[in-house]
Amino acid sequence: MFTFIDTILIGLTSGAVYSLMAIALVLVWRSTRVINFAQAGQALLSTYIGFECIGRFNSYWVALILAMILGAGVSAFIEIVFMRTLFKRNTGPIAGVAPIIATLGLLGIIRSGIGIFMGGKETIIRPPVSNIGYTISGHTFALSPFKLVIVSAVVVMMVVLSLIFTKTNIGLALRASAFAPEIARLAGVKVDAIRTLGWAIAGAAGAAAGMLQTPNGTGALSPDSLEFSLLLVFGFIAAVIGGLESLIGAVIGGLLLGLVLAIVLMYINATLLFMTAFILLILVLLVRPQGIMGKKGGRRA
Amino acid sequence: MHKLIHTNVGRLFFFVFLGFILFLAGNRVDELRVYQGATLAMFVVAISSVILLTGYSGQVSLGHGALLAIGGYSAVLARNYWSLPIWLCFAVAVLVTAAAGSVLGTAAARLSGPYLAGTTLALAVGLPSVANQFSFLGGEQGLIFDVGMPPESLGAEFSPYKWYFWIAASAALIAIWWLQNILRSRYGRTWRAVRGHEVAAELAGIHVGKAKTLAFTVSSGLAGLSGALLAMTIGTVSPSAFPLTLSFSLLTGAVLSGVTTLPGVMIGAVTLVAMPEIASAISHRLGDSDVVTQNLPGVLVSALLILVVLLVPNGPVEQLRTLRIRKNAKAHL
Repeated sequence: MFTFIDTILIGLTSGAVYSLMAIALVLVWRSTRVINFAQAGQALLSTYIGFECIGRFNSYWVALILAMILGAGVSAFIEIVFMRTLFKRNTGPIAGVAPIIATLGLLGIIRSGIGIFMGGKETIIRPPVSNIGYTISGHTFALSPFKLVIVSAVVVMMVVLSLIFTKTNIGLALRASAFAPEIARLAGVKVDAIRTLGWAIAGAAGAAAGMLQTPNGTGALSPDSLEFSLLLVFGFIAAVIGGLESLIGAVIGGLLLGLVLAIVLMYINATLLFMTAFILLILVLLVRPQGIMGKKGGRRA
Repeated sequence: MHKLIHTNVGRLFFFVFLGFILFLAGNRVDELRVYQGATLAMFVVAISSVILLTGYSGQVSLGHGALLAIGGYSAVLARNYWSLPIWLCFAVAVLVTAAAGSVLGTAAARLSGPYLAGTTLALAVGLPSVANQFSFLGGEQGLIFDVGMPPESLGAEFSPYKWYFWIAASAALIAIWWLQNILRSRYGRTWRAVRGHEVAAELAGIHVGKAKTLAFTVSSGLAGLSGALLAMTIGTVSPSAFPLTLSFSLLTGAVLSGVTTLPGVMIGAVTLVAMPEIASAISHRLGDSDVVTQNLPGVLVSALLILVVLLVPNGPVEQLRTLRIRKNAKAHL
């Protein structure tokens, strides 16, 4: 019984981090129709920025905020410098593939660049509050103060984003330029600026995911750490399962993936994690090729 | 005149001639170069498999490493358990991977763009770890692949590396020749039509799903062959031989070659083989520190990738062709 409760708790917390990553990918996909494989790389870069900030200001929370702001800046920079150029120049038969390849290239540059400049150093981010589980009647549950922080951060992020999307003019503009860029432009929306804004929010979400994921794992930060491979692959799978179009879908996808993986981890074997993610993805896509919350149609032609 | 060059007999002679040149070259250079030649041939097959899928049928695969793994493992298993002759092992690798590819392709044909990219990415990460689960696949250490010594009739001085090169080069030549032919056949035209405009292709009477599945199957077969070649050149198969970076570098190679043009495939393959050497030369200049040596190849490959996508998105070969066409058009005006 205790094992089962622990499984659920582990699934929910890791799923929450995958959701954040998936939210970042969904935001980028909605604003520019690009799958941003560099998102995990940007998260890595932001986490390194956060690590430096912890050294300067001696506070995890200040570092988290600064990492999110600077992560948003990096993301906006990438959109303005690379993606706009790419869209302007790219008309050939591989127009659909080119953004994927460009972001993969960015991922490679960020990873190996960080490897060159920070590779030899030991970088560890410690959780700001204890990551040791609460003990109730002799059993230590897999629920620690820091895991509560993770879950509540994701909830806050979701609430803020849905408020922005449904209640503000900027949210309306974001939705309009995602659904019908031409018409939005005619209606006076600055579509290019709005797209950059979408990327910036995504960068902030990715930075938060990186800053929360690292201390939740071993705390050690390196360009090839397992934590970031997990963010890269599982964040992406969560977004695809959720349908790439909706924020709710991203959260559902992340939590579903987190729960399934936790069950496999606790009851079967850790080596099967990635294969399980693949099988789950195939199963979901065979039933619904457009993801759980995706809309049918509209993707043809 | 243009037609004559591309007849089947002409192309066959061209490939035989190319093989003869390679044979001469293989006798002139040292062991390291011969070994690199074998790796080069492996990359040529692998990259053309990616080009076929992405450039000719418009499906993105981030998981070709997984297909290479299937090919490598099936060749090794065929060799170790049934001790089949080496050419038959390669045939087994091709057939098994093509079969796996057709299953995967049936699922893939339903998916488009990012959904397919996600599925193949998950496969590339997940599949190699399966080897850790079953003991007959050798776990983390993997299995040893012994292609045997070169036949005695070739002489005592014939080194194993040269034997690898002979096998890899002839496999690559046959594969590319066959691929050139199939791309100029009815199937090749069908795939290009699907890539160009799916709905238009369907209106023209093409069964889009079938065409995509077939492209995935053929591409998988080639990937299986290159996986077996890879296993041969490194002598073992293990999960760590097929990391995610392998899939990414194959895609890089395809983009450098120009995703839509098969003749450019040498550019990508040469780049992938030469890159570690260039990187080590540069890092030697920079003072041989560990972090630089490890990361420089990644920086160079990624930078090249981005530059190509931004500057010559359709690849150097296609770019030259477009320029020539434009020039000719101007000359006629």
